[in-house]
Amino acid sequence: MTLTIDRRQLLAGMAATVAFSSIGLGRANAATSMRFLWWGSKERTDRTLAAIKAYQGKNADVSIAGESFGWDNYWTRLATQTAGGNAPDLIQMDYRYIFEYARRGTLLDFTPYMGKSLAIDDFGAPNIDSGKVDGKLYGVNLGVNSSMAAVNTVAWAEAGVEPMHDGMTWDQFAEACAKVTAAGKRRGFYGSQDASGVEPSFECWLRQRGKALYTNDGKLAFEAKDAADWFAFWGHMRDIKACVPADVQALDQLTIETNMIALRKAAVCFAHSNQFIAIQGLGKEKLDIFAYPNPGPGGKPGQYLKPSMLMSVSATSANKDAAVAFVNYLVEDPDGTKALGVERGVPASSKIRGLLTPDLDAASKQVVDYIGRLTPQVGALPPSPPNGAGENAFLLKKIAEEVAFGKTSAQDAGTKFVEQAAANVTRG
Amino acid sequence: MAIGASAPVRVETYQKAPSAFARNAPGYLFLLPWFIGFFGLTLGPALVSLYLSFTDYNLLQAPHLVGLDNYARIATGDDKFISSMKVTLFYVVCSVPLKLAFALMVALLLNRGIRGLPIYRAIFYLPSLLGSSVAIAVLWRQIFDGDGVVNTLLWYVLGINGPSWISNPNYSLYTLIILAIWQFGSPMIIFLAGLRQIPTDLYEAASLDGASKARIFFKITLPLLTPVIFFNAVVQTIDAFKAFTPAYVISSGTGGPIDSTLFYTLYLYQEAFGYFRMGYAAALAWVLVIIIAVFTAFSFLSARYWVHYDD
Repeated sequence: MTLTIDRRQLLAGMAATVAFSSIGLGRANAATSMRFLWWGSKERTDRTLAAIKAYQGKNADVSIAGESFGWDNYWTRLATQTAGGNAPDLIQMDYRYIFEYARRGTLLDFTPYMGKSLAIDDFGAPNIDSGKVDGKLYGVNLGVNSSMAAVNTVAWAEAGVEPMHDGMTWDQFAEACAKVTAAGKRRGFYGSQDASGVEPSFECWLRQRGKALYTNDGKLAFEAKDAADWFAFWGHMRDIKACVPADVQALDQLTIETNMIALRKAAVCFAHSNQFIAIQGLGKEKLDIFAYPNPGPGGKPGQYLKPSMLMSVSATSANKDAAVAFVNYLVEDPDGTKALGVERGVPASSKIRGLLTPDLDAASKQVVDYIGRLTPQVGALPPSPPNGAGENAFLLKKIAEEVAFGKTSAQDAGTKFVEQAAANVTRG
Repeated sequence: MAIGASAPVRVETYQKAPSAFARNAPGYLFLLPWFIGFFGLTLGPALVSLYLSFTDYNLLQAPHLVGLDNYARIATGDDKFISSMKVTLFYVVCSVPLKLAFALMVALLLNRGIRGLPIYRAIFYLPSLLGSSVAIAVLWRQIFDGDGVVNTLLWYVLGINGPSWISNPNYSLYTLIILAIWQFGSPMIIFLAGLRQIPTDLYEAASLDGASKARIFFKITLPLLTPVIFFNAVVQTIDAFKAFTPAYVISSGTGGPIDSTLFYTLYLYQEAFGYFRMGYAAALAWVLVIIIAVFTAFSFLSARYWVHYDD
């Protein structure tokens, strides 16, 4: 006999299969399952997964799938998923992009949850407002951050140069770095990185002169002369060998792993203060953290406190309430915040900051201490950058390299940068 | 049997004759996966990208038609289009002839009946398999950076303090060209096959007449190999225009330093996924298709003057 299945049997079998699989689906739906997307280093991934695990331990009906990417790939991924109607429930957001996403209606407005499942009143108004777009709250501050100068104290001390401190002038900084290089204790080692192509460094320099990168309506807020002076200052740094030469700096791909301290090419690098923990994690030599150098008397505050990143929830999420509860867990619950530590910046909640500080490791304590020292001296948060600003960060790097490799003068580079940056912003 | 009996049979056969489609149905069935792939993953997206190239699509908002704006910008107002095209053309013009020459040289060496040929062939083919992977691009960074293998050798052998090849705009593109030449395996295999096709009696006749080795190479080997050279040249040129991974990994997607490794495909990628200008990137892609088509057409036109089909 051969095995035959008639039509009726086949239909019955199919119906049974569908019935069974829908039972399976039903079970999966009973548990709230969400997706959480973030960018960052391995350090961040480990900490975030630990927080998720702790949350699932307490909430058996919730399951959260986490996915991590590098900065560049992250925005591609998020934009593609959002365009495809498949946005993750929980979104790590950046101040640079929140206006774009919020104004296109892709993010959940947290306002109705405030004081209920989202209890972040102790953030203080400035830290809450940094997640607002057009008066509505779309992002919850994940950590307070600023720019910083990190220094390898071992290499610095070897050179016999007086230690760095907050409030150095740019000239003092140049002189000290030149001495570190001149001491010649390590082969191919320099005082500082060349920061002429680093946008946050340039922004700090502009603000110290009372300028800024962009105006409120998205135009350039500096002139060719400002950019030319900036390129000229770093030209001087290269001339006196205070910073690394052009072909060494070009190895820096604006990632933590390729910065000049990690590559052991220089004693000083410039980055965001939360990144200090990851930079320290890459090497054994003790690092310290300082404010940017300043122009001396008459200078204005160049640095500002900003949200290192924000937590947003997708407007199309099927589990909005559960997602908001998890966001609250990350910023206000002692367990969640303990898992994250200060790797995403110093917690905005004063209550959590007090709870966390005693148990922090040395590098994290340095960051908290730094933000505390810096807070009285910072300026206001600048407006969110316009479309096209992302391209300008790379344009600055490219033109700074042209000057460093001697392809153009600082003067011409200033003019060229302003022209092309303005065109990028206009184009959007 | 009588004739009358066979007639109905013939009619019946005629009626039952399956149509051409039905007769080939099993064939089409087996081709179905390919058809699905071709229409769903190649032709469909290509047509969509052609449409998008006339829009301002930015991933988050619905596309609006902007006519020929994107193409007009490429033609008139885009410095990066020109600089990336220069980089790409330089790369194509340098890497393809050098790679083919190198592949031919190795093929000639291997064609002399040495022992263990399959092993050598496999070893020499290996870089082609690995060549466009991320791991190799990372390795390339290690070899050519300031403290890399190349400079260590230069220092110990010649006492020269070499520059950081990979991060110096004067040299960075050459390191990518060397990477391309190193992947000589697939043209080499094809050259080897071509060399085997050349009748040995021609060589015997030539050596009897006392022709020098150089003369034999230029008068027999090279002319008879021209169809294979032509095929390799066309394929490698198209490949070189499309090169992406090495430059992406080595410059971490920036095309730096100073856009010296900003290949056309890398620029296209930046516009699309860095700055979300999908419409413009789609236009760039179609311009590349046209450029490659023009180059290929030129190759075929020129072929009649130098390719010998010896039949």
